[in-house]
Amino acid sequence: MIALSRYELSLLLRSHRWIAPAVLFALGVFGLGGATLRHGAGLGPGLAWSALMLVPVEAWLTRSMLTAEPAAARACVAAAGGPRRTQVAALIAPTVVGAAFGLAGIVGQVLMLGVPRSVGTNAIRVGNLLSDLGGGLAAGLICLLVGSAVAVLLNPPVIRRPAIAVLGTTGAVVLALAWNGSPANAAVRSVGYAGQERTWPAGVALVAALGLVAAAWTISTQVAARRDG
Amino acid sequence: MRLDNVAKRYGFRLPWVFRDVTLEIPAGALVRFEGKTGSGKSTLLRVIAGVSEPSRGNVTGRPVTGYVPERFPPALPFPARDYLSHIGRIHGLTGAALKSAIDACLDRLDGRELASVPLRHMSKGMSQKVAVAQALLPGGGLLVLDEAWTGLDAEAKTALDQAVAERLAHGDSVVYVDHEPGRLAHLEAERWRLDDGHASRVTGDDSAGGVTAADGSACGGAATDGSAGGGTAADGRQRSAPEDAP
Repeated sequence: MIALSRYELSLLLRSHRWIAPAVLFALGVFGLGGATLRHGAGLGPGLAWSALMLVPVEAWLTRSMLTAEPAAARACVAAAGGPRRTQVAALIAPTVVGAAFGLAGIVGQVLMLGVPRSVGTNAIRVGNLLSDLGGGLAAGLICLLVGSAVAVLLNPPVIRRPAIAVLGTTGAVVLALAWNGSPANAAVRSVGYAGQERTWPAGVALVAALGLVAAAWTISTQVAARRDG
Repeated sequence: MRLDNVAKRYGFRLPWVFRDVTLEIPAGALVRFEGKTGSGKSTLLRVIAGVSEPSRGNVTGRPVTGYVPERFPPALPFPARDYLSHIGRIHGLTGAALKSAIDACLDRLDGRELASVPLRHMSKGMSQKVAVAQALLPGGGLLVLDEAWTGLDAEAKTALDQAVAERLAHGDSVVYVDHEPGRLAHLEAERWRLDDGHASRVTGDDSAGGVTAADGSACGGAATDGSAGGGTAADGRQRSAPEDAP
């Protein structure tokens, strides 16, 4: 499984298909997000931006991965590693890249808001900081999983027509963020607007996101093993 | 390994590509599939290689498998050695064993100089060597060749023939499809014919199927490659070449 994931990951990285999503993520988190934040607002809104951007970015990375591998190349690897395990590896790879983006986003927010300095001067209580960071990590994870689930369900091998796949994925990403029944929406709200009434507790949102991902990955793996690419 | 009542179709409403295929591939066996274009040979090879799961039935006892697809795409962002390293690691090879296996496979096809060439810069012949090399990497088990000779130069074709013979002598199984009727004719093969979604064992020497007259091969010496075989069904073999052409 490690060798398979390593192959898929290097296929994604060396095809340079991760760069455009990386630019989108950086623009979203540090450009758009940075512009709307003010010093002294705390870490929460920045972490909310970082989590929010992971939904479209992870969806894009996943689509990139799922369209990066020519069918015959996949066939050779599937003969060696099994079609189901190979497909799971292809779903793990963009998730690993997305997680790296998410962590970079959190670190970037911390640095950008000058938190290390503030902590040094006791302007921010360490306890609050840790709980913000914990919430940010959880929100990022939920958004990562939702982005993956959405893209896996709406891209090859499940949906093969590019027009339907791209429009569907874009629509589903918007829905996942805007609809207040979505775990991603709940996660972003929970870190960004601490005072607001939460739609879902973070734990429930995480379980829902895990369930979504499990279902989406299972369907994709099943289709990959049965249909030809 | 065994296939029991194996059937395949690519969707619930789509027709069966083949059905009720039951056959055994014993260790050390060479199995050839024949049939018209579109008869499902490639799909059956994919199921045998484990690339694709059957819609019905069971495939059991498949050993470690190397598979050469019909068309190997050069559009991967790796040099050949990196690509082969990935495939080798997926087969569980590491370190010095991995390196020597890659060198051996490339040397066998006279392709050592390909190691540093990016796959996307390769010609058809070059990338076909990589396709064959990756299938030979595990060094045993089952070898599935879907027109693997196409695009190889004469030396590499001979090298692949030799590799197949060595595998068989070693007790490994080889399953293949090739448009060239004389391919591997010097080796004893179990022949199966796919027709109308059903597989049937071909017995005897001259059952290439519905041959009535030999009116010469298309494009001149198409049969030169099969001269090694010297079989009795030369006419039939020549005739089936244009039938299989796209």
